[in-house]
Amino acid sequence: MPFLPRAFSGLALPQVAWPWSFLAAILCAVIVAPSAACGQQVAVEEFTLPNGMQFLLVPRNDQPNVVSAGWVAKVGSVNERPGITGISHFFEHMMFKGTDTIGTRDAKRDATFRQEQQKVRGEINHLVWTEQYDKYLRGEIDDPWKPTNDTQALRVLRERLDGLIRAQQGRGDGGAETATIVKDEFDQVYTKAGGSSMNAFTSYDLTCYFITVPSNKFELWAWMESDRLHDSVFREFYSERDVVHEERRMRTDSTPTGRFEEQFDSMFWASCGYSWPVIGWPSDLNSYTEEQAQEYWNIYYRPGNLVGVVVGDFDATEAKAFITRYFSRLSAGKKAPPPVVTLEVEQMAEQRMNAEGDFPPAVEIRYHTVPAGHIDSYPLDMLAEILNERTGRLYAGLVEGRELASSARASSDTRKYAGLFAFEAETRGEASPEQLEAAWYEELTKLQEGEIPERELRKVKNRVAAGNYRRLENNMSLLVQLAVAEATLDWQEINDGPRKYEAVSAADIQRVAKEYFAATNRSAAIFRRQKGP
Amino acid sequence: MTFPLGAAVIMFRRTLCVLGIVAALLRCPVAWAFEPEEALLPARPEEIEFAPLDFKVPDAKQFRRTLPDGTVVFVAPSHEFPLVTVSIVFKGGASLDPADVPGLVASAARMVREGGTEDAKPAAFDEALDFLATEIGVGSNDAFTTATMNCLSSNLDESLALFVGMLRKPGFDEGRLETSKARLLEALKQRNDDASSILSREWKRLLWGTDHFESREPTATSVAAMTTKRLREVHARLFHPGNMIVSVTGDFDEPEMLGKLAKAFAGWKKGPAVPDPVAPTAQLSPGLYHVPKDIPQGKVVMGMRSIKRDDPDAIPLMILNDILGGSGFTSRIMQQVRSNEGLAYSAASAVAPKVWYPGQFQARFESKNATVALATKIILDLVQGVRDEPVTYEELETAKLAAIETFPRQFESKPAMLRVFVNDEWTKRPADFWQSFRDKVSAVTREDLLRVAKEHLDPAQMAILVVGDWEEIAVGDEGKRASMADFFGGSVTHLPLRDPLTLEVLPEAAKPAEAVPAGEPLPAGAKKPVPAGK
Repeated sequence: MPFLPRAFSGLALPQVAWPWSFLAAILCAVIVAPSAACGQQVAVEEFTLPNGMQFLLVPRNDQPNVVSAGWVAKVGSVNERPGITGISHFFEHMMFKGTDTIGTRDAKRDATFRQEQQKVRGEINHLVWTEQYDKYLRGEIDDPWKPTNDTQALRVLRERLDGLIRAQQGRGDGGAETATIVKDEFDQVYTKAGGSSMNAFTSYDLTCYFITVPSNKFELWAWMESDRLHDSVFREFYSERDVVHEERRMRTDSTPTGRFEEQFDSMFWASCGYSWPVIGWPSDLNSYTEEQAQEYWNIYYRPGNLVGVVVGDFDATEAKAFITRYFSRLSAGKKAPPPVVTLEVEQMAEQRMNAEGDFPPAVEIRYHTVPAGHIDSYPLDMLAEILNERTGRLYAGLVEGRELASSARASSDTRKYAGLFAFEAETRGEASPEQLEAAWYEELTKLQEGEIPERELRKVKNRVAAGNYRRLENNMSLLVQLAVAEATLDWQEINDGPRKYEAVSAADIQRVAKEYFAATNRSAAIFRRQKGP
Repeated sequence: MTFPLGAAVIMFRRTLCVLGIVAALLRCPVAWAFEPEEALLPARPEEIEFAPLDFKVPDAKQFRRTLPDGTVVFVAPSHEFPLVTVSIVFKGGASLDPADVPGLVASAARMVREGGTEDAKPAAFDEALDFLATEIGVGSNDAFTTATMNCLSSNLDESLALFVGMLRKPGFDEGRLETSKARLLEALKQRNDDASSILSREWKRLLWGTDHFESREPTATSVAAMTTKRLREVHARLFHPGNMIVSVTGDFDEPEMLGKLAKAFAGWKKGPAVPDPVAPTAQLSPGLYHVPKDIPQGKVVMGMRSIKRDDPDAIPLMILNDILGGSGFTSRIMQQVRSNEGLAYSAASAVAPKVWYPGQFQARFESKNATVALATKIILDLVQGVRDEPVTYEELETAKLAAIETFPRQFESKPAMLRVFVNDEWTKRPADFWQSFRDKVSAVTREDLLRVAKEHLDPAQMAILVVGDWEEIAVGDEGKRASMADFFGGSVTHLPLRDPLTLEVLPEAAKPAEAVPAGEPLPAGAKKPVPAGK
């Protein structure tokens, strides 16, 4: 999920005098007054516990009886390395498996099951990484992890692991008696209490967990979340991998463009941590160990790396008391997360991918730009706005004007450590992706050679400003924006961003259009429909 | 909260703090002051006492107004943000599509928005809106068409005039219509690209039959037949005060708003409200069906026709479905298929009642080819399970509490609340429905659930539709726990892939669909997917 760069507005729109025929007036009005900043701000109460966990509180009562609450861990796939790609997302799954209190009827026996499973899985991994990888590398088997390629020793180990998992779940030969797991109890506790929209997501830069609860259940939220942050156990660590493999099959392998998009990403990013997918490479998914998971947990799920966000109908004083009471049980942790040091190297030559599959002819052109908060990120965002929407340049130029595209859009995706600008379009009728590419370069040249007219820029700024109000209306949406802004940059960006967008000039846009769109800085993906079987 | 003993146990286990032991022994408040907060916490969430939530069900009548011309308007001002939303729901959607032009009403709705007005060309109209930062959307579903305008309150007069002007006198610009049709054609070409879209299209055909608006979809021929003349006919039939209910939320003064609306609608000629959607006549044929697609994961939907919205069994059936597969990780399907077996990322069931005719029950999942049969078997067993045995007391309690506790969310925001009221008014929902909802939920028993399960859920009456690579799917899992031959006596109907533009059977798959043993080779043309395209 990209950073949501635009916070909500502190801007008033220009007042236009409307004569009797206001439509005529709109059409004639070329010069309008620039808008004035009036400064409506999101009132966020910020506080930090002695253990380092930060909280952002936004009490509001227009939607009575409900509170949206969540927290964000400042860790995503960018913090991973080859061998453990996808582990941040895997954590997201594990966080719903409970603790020594929730999710088990016998924490001690459950821990024994987990230790035994870990030992067997360790033996499986060892055999796969050595014998099976060797056979795979010599071309004797097609996939070192596929159970059909198992040796007898591996088969025995897999059966033993499966038996342990089944016994832990109460589905083995010993029947329900052996179960130590209370299935999905974490979910059940919230469900019974009226919790809804419970979910989490992982992106390149962060992992965010959230739920909506009735206002009188805020203490339950504080109990449940502080419990899982205090005491999370990696229950069903090995069986949950199968679920993630299914998720990968669903999102990547079974969609028309999934694997091509993954390849394009890996081609585009050369050195930095955005070059692998958030869900991880399949071989890594199979390989994580509980030790690696524990180490990752100890580094990234400590209070100093977490931010709680609460938006909705609650009393701030009472909420702070509950938060202090419950989240103070988290210990600060000894190790600070290591810095992300690998920067993206400069691209030296154009890169190009030609893809054929079950998809319409289309094109995507990408350019390396700047990270979130970079001074040029604001004009780049505005540049995308100039191009988008029905009155934007791409619709007028490519969809309606030249009738080459059925749809076309631009986007500026500024992440924590790097950014990109993308143009994407699908063909219309007999047009080819190459024609779309050429048309894009023509639009780009116009942006580089001529300044954006004042009225066009004003229109886009008006739209951006109003959009900033709109994004505020929903509690959950505001929660996610605050979490993403804080994990990527600073939550204050929600209030500061609008001023920065308002300050962008036509000259700024022209400057970034000239600076970031060189041929050597671009990567092109051409998509073509695959011919018959 | 008072639970020092249990908390002390946690403390002993987790900390080696001497002070903690002293405090636990002495129950001494002074000693507690030195304790970590943890020592005072409830050991389990059930020990927390919650203040009651005072939620009164809002009464639609308190928000309902009538304009002098009889138009119903629901109003709910709120001044948190300087925004106003005006939403108008017109009765009629795909239900009004002529059989030979499916998608006509949806196209008309789109073109009301995109085609400019009688007074302004589309580009000028869009430019005016965009400059005001006003957003307008018009769209339709099966039974309704909705037009929504959201603007800054400072621009209300101008935006409302543009909005209502567009609804009353849309331009249906020919150029824009061509662009819109070209876009629609490109979308049609992509119909077979994603397995999920094949699944949902073929499921509708199985469920509703092929001669009902629920399953009809646009084709290249019907797109060509979408002329401005036909769009205007749809507009004249739907878009008038005799066929609309208005709702307004946001930053406005109520008397002023009602005055503005009355003025904006003045002289708008009233016609009759459109008729209710008609019920499908075809019956679902139970059985196993397959559509080819070369992907590493089979996509499955299974289900049957179900009940109407106002059926007395609707609430118990909803509760039963929550236990079976409608409530995420708390439900049986998710626990078995995903959490225990790791066979799918998403696996769920749903009851979707319809207002005017019986709706459907369905379960859905996706799984790697080898385990499609196993997951299917587990789900069918779970469906059979709720017919054979009453659910547990605990499951019933959880499902009832969830329904009661999440009930206020129906009315959580003012736009959400008004959407409920508008829908209820259009569909004539019994007036006391929401007032008595929680009591009806509380009254549901295990016996009720067993009865509705026997009456409304039946694996033998269901259709199972699989999209994927049949050769890999049919044989089932390595452990031989299930294969596709386990269902419906091992008989499968291979449905052909259809041409994305005409929806006719592709020539290479022209052999008519017939039931064959699940283990037998595929009919010609059904083996590999044929790429969409011209």
